[in-house]
Amino acid sequence: MSTIEDPSWHTVTVRVPFASPKHASIAKQAIEVDRELQPQVVKRTIEVDDDVLVATFKTLTVRLARLTVNAYLENVDLVVKTIGEFGEEAEHPPS
Amino acid sequence: MPGKIRKRSPLKPPERPYIALGLEGSANKLGAGIIKHSPDGSTIVLSNVRHTYITPPGEGFLPRDTAQHHREWAMTVINDAFKKAELSIHDIDCICFTQGPGMGAPLTSVALVARTLSLLFSKPLVGVNHCVGHIEMGRQVTGAQNPVVLYVSGGNTQVIAYSQQCYRIFGETLDIAVGNCLDRFARVINLSNDPSPGYNIEQMAKTGKRLLPLPYATKGMDLSLSGILTSTEAYTLDKRFRFNENSREGDNDNIITPADLCFSLQETIFAMLVEITERAMAHIGSKEVLIVGGVGCNERLQEMMGIMAEERGGKVFATDDRFCIDNGIMIAQAGLLSYRMGFQTPLAKSRCTQRFRTDQVHVAWRA
Repeated sequence: MSTIEDPSWHTVTVRVPFASPKHASIAKQAIEVDRELQPQVVKRTIEVDDDVLVATFKTLTVRLARLTVNAYLENVDLVVKTIGEFGEEAEHPPS
Repeated sequence: MPGKIRKRSPLKPPERPYIALGLEGSANKLGAGIIKHSPDGSTIVLSNVRHTYITPPGEGFLPRDTAQHHREWAMTVINDAFKKAELSIHDIDCICFTQGPGMGAPLTSVALVARTLSLLFSKPLVGVNHCVGHIEMGRQVTGAQNPVVLYVSGGNTQVIAYSQQCYRIFGETLDIAVGNCLDRFARVINLSNDPSPGYNIEQMAKTGKRLLPLPYATKGMDLSLSGILTSTEAYTLDKRFRFNENSREGDNDNIITPADLCFSLQETIFAMLVEITERAMAHIGSKEVLIVGGVGCNERLQEMMGIMAEERGGKVFATDDRFCIDNGIMIAQAGLLSYRMGFQTPLAKSRCTQRFRTDQVHVAWRA
């Protein structure tokens, strides 16, 4: 059995900068809710470093790393699109 | 049960107008709808926008591509809904989204948008069961009081009755859904998926002349459809089968056309649905039938159900394609009802699930 510390596992870190720490935190909260589909072979941690969303993936195989990062980037893309479309409006509530 | 006392509804009239956004994306339709509940008890549909992912003839929709479609169209559809309602997201009370059942990837994409909006605008989230959405919208549009519900769509086939704050499943398909059966047969005979394969089958069935023998597979309150699909497909390999309608002319009229097969398939499976629905009506003593779900806008199904209901002294309630086919407004309606009862989905519990049974929902808003 491999463990997370096993050197044969692969690690990928993705850093996505956002316009503000608030937006990065929104992205973290929205994305984090969905579990990885194969939690026994993919370990994911998502953190916010100021206005940067930092995701680290540890996977058993290179193929899994590719699939996981792909799916993650699609999700980030969707969140970024949503914030891009409605973020401005959200900042200006009607008085 | 005569003399049954109707309990008072636990849902209090709203003290102020409530407005909800509903986001739906459990299959190939992406929908956004905005609904308003007024203090005078009226319910107003402010907007109901839908965009359907249509695949080429002969192909079904796959989860990955469908999710891709929803991601591409989400912003347009949501913006359209608010434009038509002439509102801003700040004006709504809650954001409702489909939590299940459905295809995983499309569900997750739409839920992600719902969560992001909820965090951006600090609006509460309400997770809605897709089937309950259909039932509540059907009840709202038709005004049916306590109907037996026949929920027929591409992914679900259930006969449902309400009892003790729960929509109980009386009978359902044991294998594939009715809509799935029709859609897959449409693929076999290469019908277009625009506007929907079921609609094209319905149109084609109108010119069918022969009722071919097909298996009739009700199993008590349940039914089985995959064998019927296989049998119908097998007719396309029969030596009497002619793909071209016009070859009926001439001296040989012993042929089978695609229209005959559409007609026979519809008649057989709809007869099965009517049978189990009638049994459920007899069991609970209701005289009302409500047909919801995408297949529910099939007029032949409504007609057959109508004949059965009439013989029992009852009535059929059905809606048109705006509310039958998956839409955002039904999610908003069901979500707003539970929101008014104090229900909210915390962010940590807003994960979607492909398996979410109709009877898992606590129907707090009904007596």
